[in-house]
Amino acid sequence: MLEAKNLSKTFEGTNALVNLNLSVASGEIFCLLGQNGAGKTTTINLFLGLIKPTSGAALINGEEVKPGSNTNQWIAYIPEVVQLYGNLNGLENLDFFSRLAGYKHSKAELSELLIKAGLQEADHTKKLSSYSKGMRQKVGIAIALSKKAEVILMDEPTSGLDPMSTDEFTSICKELAAAGKSIFMATHDIFNAVNVGTRIGIMKEGKLVHSSDTDNISANELQQLYLKTI
Amino acid sequence: MRKDILLLIAGQFWKNVFKSKAIYLLMGIVVILLIYAAFSGMSYHDQNHFREDHQKMARESWEANPDKHPHRMAHFGTFAFRLKHPLSFFDFGIESFTGNAVFLEAHKQNMVNFSEASFSTSLLRFGELSMAMILSTILPLIIFFIGYRAIAAERENGTLKVLLTQGAKWNEILVGKSIGLWGIALLFTLPFFITTFIMLLIEGHTGTDEWMRLGLITTVYLTYTFIICLITISVSAASHSSKNALVILLGLWLLMIILLPRTSQALGAYFYETPTKLEFRAAIEEEVIQYGDSHDPNDPHFNHLRDSVLKVHNVNSVTELPFNYSGFVMSQGEKISTEIYNRHFNDLLDQYRRQNMLSRTLALINPYLAIKNLSMTLSGTDFETYVDFQKQAEDYRYNLAQTMNDLQMKYISAGVNSSEGKLNVVDRSEWKSFPDFKFNPITIGAALRYEFISIFSVILWLGISVLFLRYFSKNAKAI
Amino acid sequence: MYKYMFKQFLRTNTCKLGLFLVLILGVISISIGKQFLKGQERIGSHVTEKQLEHIQRNVELHSEDIGLLLYYLKFAVISEVSPLAALSIGQKDVNPSVQSVSILTLEGQKYDSDLVNPTKLLFGNLDLSFILLYVFPLLIIAFTFSLKSEEEETGTWRLVRIMSKSRLQFLLAKLSVRVILLLLAMCILFVLAGLILSIPFGMAFLAFFVTGLLYILFWFSLSFWIISLKRNSSFNALALLSIWLTLVVLLPATINNFVVTKYPVPEAFTTNIKQRDGYHQKWDTNKRETMEKFYARYPQFESYGYPPEEGFNWLWYYAMQYLGDEESSKESEMMRTKILQREQMSRKWGQFIPSIHTQLAFNDLANTSLSNHMYYLQYLNDFHEQTRLYFYPKIFSNVNGKEVDWSQFTPGYFSLSSKVNFRQIFLPLIILILIFFGLSLLNMRRESRVY
Repeated sequence: MLEAKNLSKTFEGTNALVNLNLSVASGEIFCLLGQNGAGKTTTINLFLGLIKPTSGAALINGEEVKPGSNTNQWIAYIPEVVQLYGNLNGLENLDFFSRLAGYKHSKAELSELLIKAGLQEADHTKKLSSYSKGMRQKVGIAIALSKKAEVILMDEPTSGLDPMSTDEFTSICKELAAAGKSIFMATHDIFNAVNVGTRIGIMKEGKLVHSSDTDNISANELQQLYLKTI
Repeated sequence: MRKDILLLIAGQFWKNVFKSKAIYLLMGIVVILLIYAAFSGMSYHDQNHFREDHQKMARESWEANPDKHPHRMAHFGTFAFRLKHPLSFFDFGIESFTGNAVFLEAHKQNMVNFSEASFSTSLLRFGELSMAMILSTILPLIIFFIGYRAIAAERENGTLKVLLTQGAKWNEILVGKSIGLWGIALLFTLPFFITTFIMLLIEGHTGTDEWMRLGLITTVYLTYTFIICLITISVSAASHSSKNALVILLGLWLLMIILLPRTSQALGAYFYETPTKLEFRAAIEEEVIQYGDSHDPNDPHFNHLRDSVLKVHNVNSVTELPFNYSGFVMSQGEKISTEIYNRHFNDLLDQYRRQNMLSRTLALINPYLAIKNLSMTLSGTDFETYVDFQKQAEDYRYNLAQTMNDLQMKYISAGVNSSEGKLNVVDRSEWKSFPDFKFNPITIGAALRYEFISIFSVILWLGISVLFLRYFSKNAKAI
Repeated sequence: MYKYMFKQFLRTNTCKLGLFLVLILGVISISIGKQFLKGQERIGSHVTEKQLEHIQRNVELHSEDIGLLLYYLKFAVISEVSPLAALSIGQKDVNPSVQSVSILTLEGQKYDSDLVNPTKLLFGNLDLSFILLYVFPLLIIAFTFSLKSEEEETGTWRLVRIMSKSRLQFLLAKLSVRVILLLLAMCILFVLAGLILSIPFGMAFLAFFVTGLLYILFWFSLSFWIISLKRNSSFNALALLSIWLTLVVLLPATINNFVVTKYPVPEAFTTNIKQRDGYHQKWDTNKRETMEKFYARYPQFESYGYPPEEGFNWLWYYAMQYLGDEESSKESEMMRTKILQREQMSRKWGQFIPSIHTQLAFNDLANTSLSNHMYYLQYLNDFHEQTRLYFYPKIFSNVNGKEVDWSQFTPGYFSLSSKVNFRQIFLPLIILILIFFGLSLLNMRRESRVY
């Protein structure tokens, strides 16, 4: 469960985010659309607690994100390019980051998590620096799975992915939602948003200007709406 | 802070460093430097053999003197050769710039001559390669090199964000990385102390004083590397990019280790002028002359002295005295001139101390200077240890002169003035019974008396660097 | 283009801070040099002033006994201090430039050291040669390490590549901006030094200047070579600083340790003991033997004959004193040889290492080198012998002290006027500059062929 209450952020006089009200329940996939600089990444950073809100609150499972709070235990974060340690392999990276979160998995369990995230076993012991973007993302998802995160934040997860990887990614996301996770992703990809999301939002100059379910909207309609709004 | 998370981050840092080839290259270089420095230190310290041999040679020639007038022996004199401290192979300190041999005779305080510097080209002035120099000067650079990317690079490629969302706290990341960095620094540092330990064993210097000194040296340098590690991680956390972190750290190194020490010492010497040797000697001579000239038969001071001595013994001329009068006069003269000399010499030392004070005080803002001073002191190669040698040599000289004067008063007939020939002599067994000069280096406690500022500075900087780290664990930015 | 390059560079903090630092340190170094020079002059004038007074006072007291008179009299020998010494103090602070010696055994007197604070010696002098050798290279590194990489890292390099006719020319222009500024700073310091220290403008000063200039150009060429390797800023900074550390700290220290270990000088101690024994033991031996040894060296005095075995005699006394020198002469010569070997070894290595080469060249030009001091000691030997030979007949025939013409005994003056060997000083630096500059051009060419 992820919630924003009147969440605002100002950077040196510029309003990066204005009065955001939003909630993503368990099993939902919220796709946030918007141009570069619209405030998508700021929103994610606020939920991650990397920056402090100017006013309002970001809540995870009902608990406010602030210095000293322990909301990160429920969150997993998958950046646009999953930058992990290039000189460690997939298994080692997963082991390191899940240990950071306080989970100690056996090697078999780690392997299983990677397979669950879609990474083929042969690739587990290759150095991360040799991984493609899609493969890195899978390690990112495995990390999210390893810590049993309830909320997953994703920043442009499909940009630069080939169609097959995008498809694979979409189905994994749906599986995760079906398993009860709340997923929040910032994206440019309107078609994928309609495809994967249960809800979509459009952001402009820090404001959430549109929000709706995806059940009764087609990709084309959404594109028209998006261009009109922007 | 959770212990397992700290160890995890430290271990990850450690692994990451060892994945690159550069670290092996650095270790190779340091090991070569260590071997070279240890070898040089050993051969420097071996000069003690020359000195012991010459001390013996001088002694043998002293003892070989036949029956003689004691005043001839007072002028025959002897030498004091300065022995290096057992730990001097670790830190050469000021050794190369201090004199090594002094001629000790009556009436005259000679200079301690034959410093290594007087046999050297100005190559020496670039500095010397000792184990202490590598640890205090080169090692910080290596730590900077290994650690400057620790936080800054993780921020640059975004892993820092993942670390934080995975639940690692800022302070855990900073402390963990510091521990990892210090662990690597220890790999570089410990071989130096193991080498020193083994060298002390081999050379057979196994007194408590030496072990205590080595223990303290180890503690001091480990603290120093820890401070450097904390500063490295703090700067890395505070910098926008790893390039910035590197530039700041390199700048700090240059300022603290290269420019500041030389500048402060040079300015200290600039503001406190010292007399030249000629002025120093002239000032003493002037004061001594005011007392009177014992060689001048009409000198009022010495005539007065003679009259009062005659009166006390109730005799009319010096030949009737129960002791040799010229021996008595010389012993009085020696006493007065030594007193005057020592006063001037102590003034000079104080002026030197004032010159050194600026760079000693600057240790408060520059931990390198604190380490340098402490290291020299603990290795027995500092200014005060040298001053102590000079004082011991001077005490011995005074004692020698006065013993010879006593012998003269006791054994030479009352009115005899000349010291030539085989007539008025003292038995040669007296020469043997006067002990040889033996230098006893000051104990560690006495040596540290002058190092309060340095010790305080090390503790202060330990505190400051911890505060830095705490500050950045609260205020650092993830992006 | 130049105008903007200057403007852009002058506005950076690195430039402002760097130039400020070098000028401030430069001025401090010149004042320290001035103080050193004044100190040396003070010693010189003090000696000259006091010598006559010292002679007169003793002549008054002991003119009846010229043997005793010369036991007390000391004659100073001053080693000339060139104004350039203020720029490169070298070993002049370790080795005294004035020695006052009596005509007794010389070996016991000539190594008498100056009063100096050893801690000050350890930290070294902050003279202009230090600024040139240490600080200028650091500024060159700071000014140039990101000459090209900074443009790449801030993204302007793509534009430069498209807009400029030749990238090499562009980089050379950027480099020359820094060269000009630093050379300007150097010129300012030399002009200031020339004025404040009133250094006569001559060959030595000019050679000193050119040596400094070449050394700076060497660092620029080295830096340009590293730039031409096309690595990122961090690599360049690390590589250049490591080279600096190696050239200015590690190599000189390594070579010095090597020289010291290879040529220890225990002969100094032996000389010291032997000169004492050589003289003192004669008190207990046969006087005739002593005189025979003395006359073997100076047969011209044999006519003074042999004094009786009993009693004191100045002829015998000065013969004993002389034998102190003679019996330690073998060790003294060995000591001298060892020291000269150290000097040669340092020079041999130095010609390949610009920092050492420049330092030694500065010392040579300023007459502050070890070899200069060795020449001085040699001169002192000759001076001592001449003085002895002048007084020996007067003492042996017991001339009255008042009959000697004392006015001629002003302090001896040692001045070494060696010709500047331009080729030997400049050539090693010029070769290195050409090598590194050539290598950089090659690297740059290769690059332009690839793209």
